[in-house]
Amino acid sequence: MKGRLVIAAAAVGTLAVAGCSSSSSSSTSSASSSSGSTSTKACVTSIGFEGPITGPVASLGDEQLHFAELAVSMDNAANHTKISLVQGDTQLQPAQAVTVTQQFTSNSSIVAVVGPAGSQEVEAVGSDMARAGMAFISGSATAVALTSGSYPTFFRVVSKDSVQGPQDANYIINTLHPKALMIVDDQEAYSTGLVSAMLPIFQKAGIKVDHESVSQKVTDFSSLVAKITPAESVVVLPWQIAANAQQFGRDMAQEHKSAVIFGTDGLFSPGTFTISGSYVSSFGPDITAIPADAAIAQAAQAKYGSFGTFGPPVFAATHVIDEAIASVCKAGQTPNRSNVLAAIKQTNESTSILGQPISFDSHGDLVNGKFFLFKIGSSGKYQLIPS
Amino acid sequence: MAFFFQELVNGITTGALYALVALGFSMVYGVLKLLNFAHGDLYMVGAYIGFFIIQFFGGAAHVSIPVPLLLVIMFVLAAGLVGGLGVAMERFAYRPLRDAPRIAPLITAIGISFFLESSALLLFGGQYRVYNTAEFISLSSGIRIGSVTIDSVQIMVLVLGLVLMTGLQMLIKRTRLGRQMRAVAADREAAEMLGINVNFVIAATFFLGSALAGIAGVMGGLLFNQVTSTIGFIAGLKAFTASVVGGIGSIPGAMLGGLLIGVAESFVTGYISSTYTNLIVFGLLIVVMLVRPSGLLGQVQLQKV
Repeated sequence: MKGRLVIAAAAVGTLAVAGCSSSSSSSTSSASSSSGSTSTKACVTSIGFEGPITGPVASLGDEQLHFAELAVSMDNAANHTKISLVQGDTQLQPAQAVTVTQQFTSNSSIVAVVGPAGSQEVEAVGSDMARAGMAFISGSATAVALTSGSYPTFFRVVSKDSVQGPQDANYIINTLHPKALMIVDDQEAYSTGLVSAMLPIFQKAGIKVDHESVSQKVTDFSSLVAKITPAESVVVLPWQIAANAQQFGRDMAQEHKSAVIFGTDGLFSPGTFTISGSYVSSFGPDITAIPADAAIAQAAQAKYGSFGTFGPPVFAATHVIDEAIASVCKAGQTPNRSNVLAAIKQTNESTSILGQPISFDSHGDLVNGKFFLFKIGSSGKYQLIPS
Repeated sequence: MAFFFQELVNGITTGALYALVALGFSMVYGVLKLLNFAHGDLYMVGAYIGFFIIQFFGGAAHVSIPVPLLLVIMFVLAAGLVGGLGVAMERFAYRPLRDAPRIAPLITAIGISFFLESSALLLFGGQYRVYNTAEFISLSSGIRIGSVTIDSVQIMVLVLGLVLMTGLQMLIKRTRLGRQMRAVAADREAAEMLGINVNFVIAATFFLGSALAGIAGVMGGLLFNQVTSTIGFIAGLKAFTASVVGGIGSIPGAMLGGLLIGVAESFVTGYISSTYTNLIVFGLLIVVMLVRPSGLLGQVQLQKV
């Protein structure tokens, strides 16, 4: 009997812990204290957050969640609203994203969603969101097809692959002048999309390209690194996991390979990816270098520690939704999916945490979105290369 | 030719790591006929233990004790603690289900795997923890023959892996505990009737297998530098595959299977393309299984009717 009790307790413990990392959503109230006004009491609602809180890219999802929480907290204080953030863990898996989306769309208190993070997830949930009339804003989904009109309630605060891919490819061609290069995708839609945007440009420039592919879960790159020929002076890594790129760089050093690493987005991680001489292009700026963002950067550092470029765009996305809700409340209406969606479409912020204005075109794309390019110095410090 | 040898060295190093994890997987299956899907997560726990020991002694850049001593502490503590965790798993999760239908412990193993992964995520967060091995073991301190490089971490992994595999084989073939393990694997009830303490033998098997996974976790951390809660999945998958290819339940088979997969991956990546590595390697493994369903060194099981 005693043994069975122990097993039962262990099983309950297992379920409890597993539940913490499952796709089930959990609510985190980030509402600020009430100001006591009539309009404040009326402006109570919830928004969903979809991101990879667990799984291989949990480090990025954590950062996104932290910045969403921070935005809700700061906007509640500024607008006298009581917006709660409901978390949903997608693990960067489209199937998980669909499960979370179904939970959100069936929860009438949720009027808009921040996320999901990955392009493949947006493709999986786009139709469900549209059917529910739910606006959703991603801070990191960059695939071109997402804003082709199939998902009318989708918006993004970052630019798309058709901008980043050619911009990066042209920089590599014109500045690094490789005769041959290796490009390695990480088998995720984000990565393969960027590779597809870059390859034709390299080929048109007459550069010999060795296109390789490794799973995000792989951590041993020694065999791949051995393949880098002396003629391949650049290795392009459009990856999401900075620790993998760091290991790739170490394997290169160990095998005496001198190619320059050119990475994207996820590799912007000054605490993790520090291979000297490498380049990183990012859809988000380094907000610690933007004076107007000092308060946000300090608050984020104090509360959550160091961060990269995945969090700030999510702060911007959350802020857009928060402001849309606040404008609905100011107009004397109760926030619902329809009026919040309409308000988001009217977004016209003259400045943002990203150091640029935010407004959307008719397809949900950020107007005049841009990318930022950094070079890593000998001390591992990231230096912005002026565009 | 240098390229061939470089890929061979890389493949053998990775394969030795697979083999070490596969050994524990195969040992447990041999004795209990249990596919312990939580075994890969023990590798993850070992890697975390190694990381925190480095931090305890000042961090990679400022290790406060001699590096050889640090490595000994990392390996010994990882082996002991992960071995103990394996024994606890056996005692509280698997032993009560020993006579249950085989599906029950299998599901339990999957549950434990999620439990360990989720616990690590909750305790240590989602971010990657980095060993920064190069800070305390120089990349240039290995051997260079022509353009073939074998760094000191690779040498350590190869030597330690070989020593552990040989030691385990001797333990099983030449010691009293090894004989008891083989007896329990052959017929648990008969072994019990002969006076063998079956519970002790099974616990010892779990301890040894888990300790090897813990040591492999530290080796993986030193080689690949990074630790996160999900690294056990791939390690477990490769170990399972290596065990099956080598002949599940066979110790030499697990070693052979691990090395074979490591070398095959390396050559396919080097000579064909990393895009096709899993496709070709696992395709070859299917062919091996079709030709020898019980694995390369596995024995055909006779079934009483």
